Amino acid sequence: MKVRRFDILGLPARVTRVWRRSLQFRTVVASMALSGVAIILVGIYMSFSISNDLFASRLDQVLSESQRAQVAAQRIFDSSDASDQASMQSVMNAARTAIRDASSSGLVAVYRVPDQEPNALAPQNFSSPELTGGVITPELKDQVVTTADQQFWQSVELPINGVLVPGVVVGSQLDIPGAGTYELFIGYDFQQSEQTLLFIQQVLWFSGLGLLILVGGVAWFVSRMVVSPLKNAAETSQKLAAGDLAVRIPEKGEDVVATLARSFNDMAGSMQRQLTELADLSVMQQRFVSDVSHELRTPLTTIKLAGDVLFQERESFDSKTRRSTELLNAQVLRFEKLLGDLLEISRYDAGSVNLEPEPTNVAGLVQDVVGTMTTLAEQHGCDLSLIAPGGHFDADIDPRRVRRILMNLIGNAIEHGEQKAIDVAVDSNATAVAISVRDHGVGMDADQLEQVFSRFWRADPSRQRTLGGTGLGLAISLEDARVHNGQLDVWAAPGEGALFRLTLPRELDVPIASSPLPLDPTGDSGGEE
Amino acid sequence: MSARILVVDDDAALAEMVGIVLEGEGFTPSFCADGAEALAAFREHKPDLVLLDLMLPGFDGIEVCGQIRQESGVPIIMLTAKGDAADVVAGLEAGADDYMVKPFNPGELAARIRTRLRSMAPGVTTAQTLRIGDLSIDVDGHEVKRGDSSINLTPLEFDLLVALASKPQQVFTREMLLEKVWGYQYKADTRLVNVHVQRLRSKVEFDADNPTIVTTVRGIGYRAGAVI
Repeated sequence: MKVRRFDILGLPARVTRVWRRSLQFRTVVASMALSGVAIILVGIYMSFSISNDLFASRLDQVLSESQRAQVAAQRIFDSSDASDQASMQSVMNAARTAIRDASSSGLVAVYRVPDQEPNALAPQNFSSPELTGGVITPELKDQVVTTADQQFWQSVELPINGVLVPGVVVGSQLDIPGAGTYELFIGYDFQQSEQTLLFIQQVLWFSGLGLLILVGGVAWFVSRMVVSPLKNAAETSQKLAAGDLAVRIPEKGEDVVATLARSFNDMAGSMQRQLTELADLSVMQQRFVSDVSHELRTPLTTIKLAGDVLFQERESFDSKTRRSTELLNAQVLRFEKLLGDLLEISRYDAGSVNLEPEPTNVAGLVQDVVGTMTTLAEQHGCDLSLIAPGGHFDADIDPRRVRRILMNLIGNAIEHGEQKAIDVAVDSNATAVAISVRDHGVGMDADQLEQVFSRFWRADPSRQRTLGGTGLGLAISLEDARVHNGQLDVWAAPGEGALFRLTLPRELDVPIASSPLPLDPTGDSGGEE
Repeated sequence: MSARILVVDDDAALAEMVGIVLEGEGFTPSFCADGAEALAAFREHKPDLVLLDLMLPGFDGIEVCGQIRQESGVPIIMLTAKGDAADVVAGLEAGADDYMVKPFNPGELAARIRTRLRSMAPGVTTAQTLRIGDLSIDVDGHEVKRGDSSINLTPLEFDLLVALASKPQQVFTREMLLEKVWGYQYKADTRLVNVHVQRLRSKVEFDADNPTIVTTVRGIGYRAGAVI
């Protein structure tokens, strides 16, 4: 019961869905509905005209038969010379037989027109039982009485064998010499015509229904012929859009659908060519950057080894050569770092970065990094502090990358921190663990904030760089965060310092709901977005 | 007598510079610039350690590494311009003991070489026989035996086995093994440990998929199997 009710409730929704989704269904339904209306209109018109025609021809027949009967009866009366009631009655009987024969109908009634002088000779009224009891209306009688030499008819229902059937009663006057004026009524049974009409109507409705089904079938077939290539094209373009560049629509024939298929295929082919070219170019470019970086490494190693040998010996050089050696050594280190960063960025660009996550205690890792950076911070007059209310658990992270991000953020904070305190914080919530690094240095304005993750961008090119960053640090950090499905956000205000917040998911494939640490240290709203 | 070191590198300048550094550190370098001749040079010079560039004309370094390993367990340190995962792992699986990514420091190079040579030097460990699983290890004689048949291990594999066997109760993390066997003071590439444990297992275990000598402690590291 329940299931059935559900089905009934669900049916309109299902039909609506099919209606919305299937062009073919819509076409079939629409053509069937329109054809149905047309068929009904034509059917009604045909049914009407046939029935009118049937009735009219039967009526003509009936009227002429009745006319003939009236004439025959009148002739009998005119030629009679009956002078007593009995002979008059026998004339009447003869007339009645003649009427029956001429009219080919057994339903006959003859009434003497009322309000005439009583006449002893006048034959008696008679009537077939079917014509009694109000079948002949007073209106018809009146017409017959008032107008001689004319036939009047009326549609009636005749009780034949106890069943009412449609029929017509035709009335006219008989003038019986010596007895007065009589009304003659002949009833005709129209059942035959009615049945013919019914039969024709049935045939009409059945053939209409058949036609409708045929139209539906044709519509289905035709729409299928048109829709299925379209459907195929739609599915193919979906696949193409989803990135399967090799899909094509089968091209058949010379029609408009085939033209569509051909154009589509041409488009797909050209897209595929261009994309492949682009991809090849991109791969080539990335490989080139990677190759250059690698090729640079061997001579750089030689330079570095040579520089190092010289650097070890620098005490024995004169001051100019010594300074040159020191500069050489420092710049080789910088060059090496730059090359490493460049290679790392090219790996990210090539999409060839593999995350190597392992369960890592985040607070422990941060503490470790802060520990190694403390000496450097002190050398630059910064007080490096760590608050870790959360993060004391193993999260799925790549410790090498997170360490690199953190060292970079703390390095930047030391660089731009103006010898003021640097606060590192670690916290966690249900989905994420966050690390923030805040300095109280020069800060950044809105324009600078937009640029901060750009490659080789520097906040203030005129500033002396003490730690020798490559300009790629934050760009790499951002990529490192993204490859973890994490995010790296920044807040800064001129003169108030900057805050970088790294938020990582506790588990790689579980999205971050919110960051456990606030981004804006001046506001008190925590964990926005 | 100073240790002999074969430098296989096609870059003449780098080879010469590495030679200068090695001489400065008291080693005796010899050179080979072609991978195809590396094996001949190895046989001729009988070095105590090989520095092998991974990208060589003729053969690539990985093939050379495999050839040398078939003849000898002499320590091999790969020099690679590619720090990428696949290259390093391929080199280690071919039998290299350690690798250095260019550009490296001379001090770092010397330190690694010394660590690898140290295990070759006799008499640095205490003279004793260790047991692990059904194996007996003669630490002094650098020999591992199962019953009467001896198992041929490279010095590094031997060191790894000794490190585990010397403290049979202890679970060693990969970092601890890196420090103890490879001499890394800071966190380095733990794949070094993974690859060499696999190589060691393929030699000492009956069934390397179901190890009983070097057992894995999931999420932590490795420990020695129980003595049988």
